[in-house]
Amino acid sequence: MNLNTKSEKARTYDAIVVGSGLTGGWAAKELTEKGLKVLVLERGYEVRHITDYKTAMMDPWEFEHRGRVTTASAEEHYASNYFSAREGTQHFYTNDKENPYVEKRPFNWIRAYHTGGKSLLWGKHSYRWNTEDFLANAKEGIGVDWPIRYEDIEPWYSYVEKFVGIYGQAEGLAVLPDSHFLPPFAMTAPEIHLKESVARKLNRPITMGRVAHLTKAQPHHLALGRTDCQVRNRCTRGCPYGSYFSSLSATLPAARNTGRLTIVHNAIVKEVLLHDKLQKAKGVRVIDQDTMEVTDFYAKVLFLNAGAIGSTSILMNSKSARFPNGLGNDSDQLGRNIMDHHLAVGARADIGGFEDDHYFGARPGSLYIPRFRNWGNDKRSYLRGFGYQGGANRADWGRGAAETGFGADFKIKMTQPGPWSINLGGFGEVLPDPNNRFYLSTDQKDKWGLPLVVFDADFGENEKAMRKDIMNDAAEMLEAAGFRNIVPYDLPVSHMGLGIHEMGTARMGRDPKTSILNKFNQVHTCKNVFVTDGAAMTSASNVNPSLTYMALTARAANHAVTQLKARNL
Amino acid sequence: MNRREALARTAWLLGSALSGPTLHAMNRWETAGKQTVPGQNDPFLNETRKAIAARVADLIIPRTDTPGAIDTGVPDFIELMLRDCYEKPAQHTFLTGLGQLEQKEFLTLSPGRQTEMLRRIEADAKKAKGPTFWRIIKELTLLGYFSSEAGIKASFDYQPIPGRFEAIKIRPGQKDFMYGHKF
Repeated sequence: MNLNTKSEKARTYDAIVVGSGLTGGWAAKELTEKGLKVLVLERGYEVRHITDYKTAMMDPWEFEHRGRVTTASAEEHYASNYFSAREGTQHFYTNDKENPYVEKRPFNWIRAYHTGGKSLLWGKHSYRWNTEDFLANAKEGIGVDWPIRYEDIEPWYSYVEKFVGIYGQAEGLAVLPDSHFLPPFAMTAPEIHLKESVARKLNRPITMGRVAHLTKAQPHHLALGRTDCQVRNRCTRGCPYGSYFSSLSATLPAARNTGRLTIVHNAIVKEVLLHDKLQKAKGVRVIDQDTMEVTDFYAKVLFLNAGAIGSTSILMNSKSARFPNGLGNDSDQLGRNIMDHHLAVGARADIGGFEDDHYFGARPGSLYIPRFRNWGNDKRSYLRGFGYQGGANRADWGRGAAETGFGADFKIKMTQPGPWSINLGGFGEVLPDPNNRFYLSTDQKDKWGLPLVVFDADFGENEKAMRKDIMNDAAEMLEAAGFRNIVPYDLPVSHMGLGIHEMGTARMGRDPKTSILNKFNQVHTCKNVFVTDGAAMTSASNVNPSLTYMALTARAANHAVTQLKARNL
Repeated sequence: MNRREALARTAWLLGSALSGPTLHAMNRWETAGKQTVPGQNDPFLNETRKAIAARVADLIIPRTDTPGAIDTGVPDFIELMLRDCYEKPAQHTFLTGLGQLEQKEFLTLSPGRQTEMLRRIEADAKKAKGPTFWRIIKELTLLGYFSSEAGIKASFDYQPIPGRFEAIKIRPGQKDFMYGHKF
């Protein structure tokens, strides 16, 4: 780590943030801007903004395998291969072979161990939860009640949205509260036709997705070196324009500007260190991933932002006389109630006509269809609901492999846009279930001597019942638009982890007997430890979770600083 | 439907033009440990078979008023891709297909006969389940050509930095845009 690790004083900060991803970046920004000296510990290697986006400006012919992943590389990335099967992005996904885990039931644990974490790779769809999302558990007697309501988080949504920069269309819908938006991208002609048909025949709104790209950079974005989206949709190679929100483009630069940020890479946090007498954390123990050197760092307050599974694993590994089952785990809830969104279900169709319609630009983002089931007067046999993402595209030359023909005429045909098609993919809410869990292996360890994560989770009856509607409702909407060859699908490949929305395992709640974290994301029984990533989630909603993680993190950081100043931590 | 088939289908549904890698990755997951790929320095194709593959690629994307598969290095690309990106079963399928063309002395046939033979192979491939010689060589020829610098510049309106998104009207026969984001 090349730090002066000699004196304890040199290893002491006001706050330690574990993880530099989406929420770690936010914790670092908020805590440094409020005057704290902050150490960010990143377990992976360093990725520098722009400089290290080595594939971002590469042309197709510069890739040896023209974008395809080699069998050797695919074998090393078995969890993420499904999503990252591109030569230009593979290096930002963690090598699963070197970082193994155990699947008692199938789980794709998709990780990005480097600066910025999955904020470099996220889908960027950013939606507020609605009022009912925070009430549903209590109303239905599922899991535990959220200790906060929409009103508690609303100002923090506003706060983070303005900084992030999210494009979208205000719709005034209770089911999908509006954010502060930058101008939305346009819809294509068949998408507008779908929107109008579905509104007229089924009375369901379709809106442009709400996605974290700068369509019109504001002064505070420009001040951080972020500029307007160039509509290349090469996002996951890293954006040299800083147009999409990531820790690297936005929060870490803001934290760095305070002069109070230190980032240490290759630093795997093994455990939280507790004061002998006080029920309080005093720091963390770190293993250097390359040298295996062990170092302790100290702070008054800890933020765990290592990703849901990572943060909870650290708590599980932090055993003491007071907490023999892991830090803060008096309730035995640690590791339980894993949630994700269930997907790989929906419908696709061919679109006839629109031959003279096309689009210019590679639009990042898609349509969004907000939840309509179990909403208002609609009542289904299952609980909760789902939304859709998707859109209409014209086929490119890639269609040729499946088409009949070859030779000179075929060659010309492939240079022209192909027919339109559309896909609507569902994202369904997953209920918290204590039997959906992960735990640490008692006999298998990784190369740093840390126990392997064992996943034991799957979707339940509620999710399965919902999938029938996701499929049929999508088909119904495509039919309303008069599209052809409609294929509803529900793929058996769908299992936990593929949504890359790992949630739960250290849930927030009102009662320490049934939850790990309080309403400010503090460990109930160790108040200077905050967990503000997906681990904190008490339920899952059906919308993408990142915006809510960011709002919770900013809110918790504000609380932490207030409490520090009042000498309550 | 097993996990591999399901994934392949998903890739298609999600609009991936190139479901091959995922398919073959899954294939590999299922056969992991049982297979080894040829050594990095071994030639994957002998001279005759390489020449047959080159001729087939040339018939799929011939040189016209724009460059063709041979001009853009597709034969070498096919060999590289087969070695690095395809699993043993697919490699075997491909080599078997080439072997059959070799037996039929493909290279000695007239261009008309060669085209006729490929049309039959294509028709048979339509009926087959799973990857066939024809599907692999056609997919790799198209990929190799339409991602090459000369192929892209001759075929498309290449826009690596579009800068805006617009719904637009196009005229019949207008070249498609290429943005280079699917790599």
